[in-house]
Amino acid sequence: MTVVFRMEAPYRGAYELHRLSFGSGSPSVAIVAGMHGYELTGLHAVNMLATALRVSRPKGTVHLLPLVNTFGADENQKRWPFDDQDINHAFPGDPAGTAVQRIAHALLEATHADVCVDVHSGAPHVRELPHVRVPMGGEEVELGRKMGLPVVWRRPGDRLDATGLVGAWRQAGHKAVVIEGGRGGTLDTQHSELIARGLGALLGHLHILPAMPGPGVLADVTHSEVETHRAPFGGFFVPEVKVGQRVQAGHLLGYLQAPIGGDRLGELRAERPGVVMTLRAYPMVHASELLVRVAGIPQ
Amino acid sequence: MPIVEPVISVEMPSGEDVQIVRRRFQGSAGPGPRVAVVAGIRGDTPEGIRVAHELCAFLGQHEAALSGTVDVYPCCNPLAAHRGARRWPFFDVDLNRLFPGRQDGHPPDRVAWALSQEIADADQVIELRGAHPAFREAPQAHVRHRDGKAAELAMGANVAVVWARHPGPAANSTFAYQHPGTIVLEGGCGNRLTHGVGRDLREGLLHMLSMLGVVAEADLPFHWAALQRPQVVTDEEVVRVRTSRGGLFLPEGTPWQEIEAGQPLGSVVDPVTGAACEEVVSPVSGRLLAVREQPVVFPGSMVGRVVTT
Repeated sequence: MTVVFRMEAPYRGAYELHRLSFGSGSPSVAIVAGMHGYELTGLHAVNMLATALRVSRPKGTVHLLPLVNTFGADENQKRWPFDDQDINHAFPGDPAGTAVQRIAHALLEATHADVCVDVHSGAPHVRELPHVRVPMGGEEVELGRKMGLPVVWRRPGDRLDATGLVGAWRQAGHKAVVIEGGRGGTLDTQHSELIARGLGALLGHLHILPAMPGPGVLADVTHSEVETHRAPFGGFFVPEVKVGQRVQAGHLLGYLQAPIGGDRLGELRAERPGVVMTLRAYPMVHASELLVRVAGIPQ
Repeated sequence: MPIVEPVISVEMPSGEDVQIVRRRFQGSAGPGPRVAVVAGIRGDTPEGIRVAHELCAFLGQHEAALSGTVDVYPCCNPLAAHRGARRWPFFDVDLNRLFPGRQDGHPPDRVAWALSQEIADADQVIELRGAHPAFREAPQAHVRHRDGKAAELAMGANVAVVWARHPGPAANSTFAYQHPGTIVLEGGCGNRLTHGVGRDLREGLLHMLSMLGVVAEADLPFHWAALQRPQVVTDEEVVRVRTSRGGLFLPEGTPWQEIEAGQPLGSVVDPVTGAACEEVVSPVSGRLLAVREQPVVFPGSMVGRVVTT
């Protein structure tokens, strides 16, 4: 384990950015998690991968940075707690700038690799089925598919974290994708395992590790093939499905009821066959809020 | 009497409504421009909200003598203001990074969209803010770089500095960039009221309304000759001073005091032992535009802004 960046911190021990490196030479892969401090499912997944890499002989280089925002993780915070700044909004960073700009700069410098992966979770009020977000075309689509995560979501470039770490990687000429899975502030070990297996499959595809299958793609979709259900009005949302569940057209996804009294106000039903990719976890909802995403599966 | 109307109502999950309110003062002295004055986009800017209320009090007394329309939006982020926080709660988003907003988005997105629609046909937009919570700042007006018309109007804002700013990476998502010619007024200390600053900004705001022809000069409760004559600066003339060590920053300066190159702005001490770690000096001569009030600093934290002279 290497400390690639260190910065003194008032009232506590210094901040350190840790990198675990395995193997040497090409191809190279960098995997980052925990840039948002409360996103712990990815942290656990990357540590599972590290455990596997310790007993293997990688043909190439793998850099793992399991937890960037250690201070945020200590306090169950998304952002850097000192000045409440999002590290993922500080790229490309500045070695002489503010704390988050320095971290962003050091992180970018420590992760130059042929293929880069940034692992995130959903916000604390939603749960995400592990999926990979890739551009609409190019080599990254194939890399994403080879992970075998349950959903491959092809998105326009400007929706792929254009101003964050992934955007900075792509600006630097690296192939970069985002994995999202689980829920902020909690640990979902099954989702961590899916993500770890997906990352292992990627390393197998790049011949860094022996070939291994990913969990299996259930849906390979563009934005228009993702069915998004928003709350038509505020209320108390009761889900009737779980993330990863396959549904048919007409399947009851959940319903809204009055928070006081429990009168049923409306129902959400799937419009087409698919797999539940995103599910609201915190039940008090405002009008227009995202409740369910269903990734379409062709019949 | 002003017309008080909700611009948008946000229904809370538990059933209550939260409203963003517009207070419209419609003059009858003659035709004139429509001016939108917007405050409280962040919940930790009570100075701007105070100025908006004082403006409303003046306009209420002189409504018949106005030429044109003044729409005042005194508090655009009421849930954040309710708790003195910067961001819209629950969604934990900065409303000033959501513009122009989305009509079908979550509540803060819809508020941003509604405000964008509100100001679309205004002749002049003025945003009232407070300082960042970590700083104490001299009263200042921000305009866009090379927006000569806005800078000319802002010269009457009774501030120390008119800062013609280049757009930063997030500029397009801020309120101030939704309408050309928007002037941002700020100063004082974040998340509190600062003696004198509210009065300065209120008088500057009224003076600008006079320059726009909305308020009759004879109705101003002060003489324009007593107002400050600001210095116009660009980004190149505003120097950010940063610490190189982490610790507690103990400031020595006050906003708008003169400072020489090499003169201390303050010192950084070890937060546990109190031992001095660093003396932070101004790299240039000028005046202090902002001084850090929140003392905890990391390496690279900004502790002051100096306007070069």
